[in-house]
Amino acid sequence: MGDQPVKINHAFRDELGLVLEGDGVNYCYQCGACVGDCPTARFSEDFNPRQIMLAVLYGMEDEVVGPDSKVWQCSNCFTCFDRCPQDVKPIEVIIALKNLMGERGIVPKGVDRLVDGLLQTGRSAKVTTATHRRRKELGLPPLPELDLDPMKKLLEAAEAEKGKT
Amino acid sequence: MKYAFFPGCMIQVRYPQMEAAVRKTVPDLGVELVDLPDLGCCPDPVFFKSLHKLDWLTLAARNLVIAERAGLDFVTICSGCTETLAEGAHLLNEDEELRARVNKRLAAIDMKYEGTVHARHLITILRDEVGLDGVAATVKRPLEGVRIAVHYGCHLLKPRDVMQVDDPDHPTIFEDMLTALGATPVDHTERIICCGKSCRDCDLPEQMTRTVLESIHAAKVDIMGVICPSCFDSFDTGQLKLARKYKLGFTIPPVYYFQLLAVAQGLSAEAVGLDKHKIKPEKLLAGAAG
Repeated sequence: MGDQPVKINHAFRDELGLVLEGDGVNYCYQCGACVGDCPTARFSEDFNPRQIMLAVLYGMEDEVVGPDSKVWQCSNCFTCFDRCPQDVKPIEVIIALKNLMGERGIVPKGVDRLVDGLLQTGRSAKVTTATHRRRKELGLPPLPELDLDPMKKLLEAAEAEKGKT
Repeated sequence: MKYAFFPGCMIQVRYPQMEAAVRKTVPDLGVELVDLPDLGCCPDPVFFKSLHKLDWLTLAARNLVIAERAGLDFVTICSGCTETLAEGAHLLNEDEELRARVNKRLAAIDMKYEGTVHARHLITILRDEVGLDGVAATVKRPLEGVRIAVHYGCHLLKPRDVMQVDDPDHPTIFEDMLTALGATPVDHTERIICCGKSCRDCDLPEQMTRTVLESIHAAKVDIMGVICPSCFDSFDTGQLKLARKYKLGFTIPPVYYFQLLAVAQGLSAEAVGLDKHKIKPEKLLAGAAG
């Protein structure tokens, strides 16, 4: 950024603000309380929640939602949520950034497969023959059948809503 | 004590031994779990939420309405499900505009979220409703001399004000419930760190899991106590991979709290699937406890 005045990319911040809890970052005063007990920051030189919040405040779009973004290193532990004196909920801002990455088609390997599986079966774990066998061995009731219709209708309602905005 | 039961996908599908342990231990505790039809994934508080946050909240709201219509609160047995359902309810209860937005979607299936339902993890019911003495009274074979180090995991406790379970920095609920079984809880230095399972794009899961395991190994215990199926995954299958890759030279069997309760209540280790774990808790299988 050098000696040049910083030009804030407000369009990106506005876009992020449309994702649920993506606008919490506006209250960040860069105290760094989110860093000390962040397990990812402890083990990764590339990840610092305060720096991610700063990059978002500047609207540095490529850094936070581009292909080299580090936000997927987040452990989702919620420690920063509890530490933040400003109620920024850095984890939720990071989740909002991941939502924008998803919209841009940048998703880590394996994540889209997990999510597609959930949308197709209603469950986030893959049912195998071993599932049924083990449930029986343990004296458990058979795995309940799921009616996928309500879930599909809700997601259709969500799509229709997106089309309107 | 009657609750709507939310077993969750990972436990129902991948680790049914955890569901078996719960179903087989609650009758003695005076807890009745009611199975409701058509409960979908909570949904997943990490990956699904990270791609479709408002859809995550919408599907969570649908599950909440199913319990609400039955006039019951949810009892969960997976930390991830607890997180999604408790956080979902919290968001909807705090923000009227958001609730209206989600209810507009729910109208497509003739549902409306009213905000009268709570979701709580079963271990909190044991502490707050059954009580330590009540749990201890169901123990037929105390786990005397069994040293257990706890791995709390994140989503049972955090965020603190949403989950309202315990102090996330100094939790005692798990150790208290172990004491009720006659076991010996053992402290260790990395008791509250994340297992790392949700990190992507890097080797962080291995580093975090290994850090927890080495901390527990130093505490010289028989078993590591877990409460979350995702953490269990890191420490059962995940531990085997780590032990081979880094030649750790030790293994520590992870056991879910309600499996420990089952053995203490006098059930066989096999009845709650402990013989099927990748890393077998020999101390419990041998029937050495008590």
